[in-house]
Amino acid sequence: MTSKTGPASTPPSQKLMKLAVAGAAILAVAGAGAFYFASKNMKSGTPDNAVVVTIKDGTCDPNAITVPAGRSTFKIINNSDRALEWEILDGVMVLEERENILPGFTQTMQAKLKAGDYEITCGLLSSPRGTLRVTPSAESEAEAARPPLVSFVGALAEFQVFLMTQTNSLVKAVTAMDEAIKAGDLEKARELYQKARAPYKQIEPMADLFADLHNAIDPIADYLEKREQDPAFTGFHRIEFGLYSSNSLDGLAPVSAKLLADVTALKDRVRGLRIPPEQIAKGAARLMGSIADTKIAAGEDHYSKTDLLDFEANLAGTSRMMALLKPVAAPAAPTVVADIETRLAEANTALAALRGTDGYPAYDKVTKDSRDVLAQKMKALADSIDKLNTAVGLE
Amino acid sequence: MKLKVTLSASLFAITAALLPRVAAAEVAPLDLVAPIADYKIYVSENLEKLVADTKTFTDAVKAGELDKAKSLFGSTRMSYEAIEPIAELFSDLDGSIDSRADDHEKAEKDPEFTGFHRIEYGLFAENSTKDLAPFADKLLADVTELNKRITELTLPPEKVVGGAAALMEEVAATKISGEEDRYSHTDLWDFKANFDGSRKIFDLVRPLIEKTDGEFITKVSGNFDKVDVTLSKYKKGDGYELYDKLTDDDRAVLAAAVNTLAEDLSTLRGKLGLN
Repeated sequence: MTSKTGPASTPPSQKLMKLAVAGAAILAVAGAGAFYFASKNMKSGTPDNAVVVTIKDGTCDPNAITVPAGRSTFKIINNSDRALEWEILDGVMVLEERENILPGFTQTMQAKLKAGDYEITCGLLSSPRGTLRVTPSAESEAEAARPPLVSFVGALAEFQVFLMTQTNSLVKAVTAMDEAIKAGDLEKARELYQKARAPYKQIEPMADLFADLHNAIDPIADYLEKREQDPAFTGFHRIEFGLYSSNSLDGLAPVSAKLLADVTALKDRVRGLRIPPEQIAKGAARLMGSIADTKIAAGEDHYSKTDLLDFEANLAGTSRMMALLKPVAAPAAPTVVADIETRLAEANTALAALRGTDGYPAYDKVTKDSRDVLAQKMKALADSIDKLNTAVGLE
Repeated sequence: MKLKVTLSASLFAITAALLPRVAAAEVAPLDLVAPIADYKIYVSENLEKLVADTKTFTDAVKAGELDKAKSLFGSTRMSYEAIEPIAELFSDLDGSIDSRADDHEKAEKDPEFTGFHRIEYGLFAENSTKDLAPFADKLLADVTELNKRITELTLPPEKVVGGAAALMEEVAATKISGEEDRYSHTDLWDFKANFDGSRKIFDLVRPLIEKTDGEFITKVSGNFDKVDVTLSKYKKGDGYELYDKLTDDDRAVLAAAVNTLAEDLSTLRGKLGLN
């Protein structure tokens, strides 16, 4: 929040400014006259028709304003005896503001507003607020239905932050696990293995875009010729094999060092990743689909049997991605967005139903029926997310 | 009274066609993603520091350590001031954390007058920590809540880019005059933080316009440097001299540079296609 009083050091210039304002007011009156004559020949308003709001004694005049969506200009006249700031509020969020309007002064503010009901401030913090109703316009409706690329920038930046945060946690956890393995602490290494797994699974739809790293970080023995004995069996599951099947740290140190190098490379690559908005839903739908189609039946964590933890992290990542897209996607495709939220909740419920007081059961103890229910929910979720890009005009 | 403004679509189209096309299309929207993401990280780091520093500051207030609390006031505010364009997006918290006495009907005596400046008033004007504990608790709770809300907030890109100019306008309106920290006179600390916050935004988007707008970059950088050099004359220990030490000449230099910066930086949004 900024100044409520004028620059104390410059009273002469303030006086000058007041004269200038008075002069401007005369010009404005003259201009208004000219405008009156000009507008007699016009059917509608002028681009200069700003909304004039006069503030005096803690009230706005007018106190209820209606403008069409899009760009509007507001002229704020401060007829109170204190400097003030004028804000347009959406709940507690400040949409636009003009600060430090001195007594007797007028300031102009432009705002690009979406359709909706807002509030305006009228002087002191305790002064009752006025209302601002923004009605939909043809232009705003068209933009909401098919959001331009620039409206995804906020969501994409937040997604980038999410990727950075998760890869940071990943590198940190793998580093800690690597140290435990080097120190010969099997118990600690197991604990840290699970900590490292979650951030990787949260960002899996983006991590698996880098095929070379994905094949080094997360291959499963089933797809390798010599299975666990295959030299290409590296990464998480190779370490998992040692920690949970061989119950030994033998030979894990170089595997762990390589995994650390690979997740560090992943972190660096994700940093410079230029993700077009359609990749988010595409990646999430693809991952949910592959969980439904293959992962639930076959399982991936053969030795630790912690597949349900992986699914939980996968779902958490997907929830995050959908939440980020929602502010842009919901106005364009309210039905699809609502359906995705329902499907997400159902998938989470199906997973939570398997959770006991000690957490999830070992995956080999999960019955076929339970797996089928989970697969069905994941499939429904994948199908729902799959509709998003088309619905918001991204493909 | 109800006012209805209508603008016919056809007239809008004509106006749009007549307006000069600003060189906005040269920056691809996807190029903005990395700078905005980096800025969010910068904001998060500042918020973490704000919460930690506020804890230390309010602990001192509550322990009745008047001198320590006074000495921490200026530095504690810096992480708030650096990210002010984002920090003030929540009107309720902005009011409770950083409002001035003038924002309230009964000024200093108003029960709604809380936050940094209420504590500042107690420490520096009343020269006491007496009765400040509830304000200290509230301030810590409010900055903690602010951190939580901003973590969950998708930063509006136009607010981030517009923030560079907003911070300089803030300096022009409230720091050059010495209005903001009127009891403690630690305005130069706020000034430095606003300045750093503005320059951070400029530096993040700079590569996007470096090639097309070299002259603009040179001019803005030059003015940032001028402010930096002038301000650094008043560095004292880890912080800054009190505001009344600022000479009239330096104030004039700062005012001129800051006003030019505010004006120049206000074109950033247009240059980046965010208007």
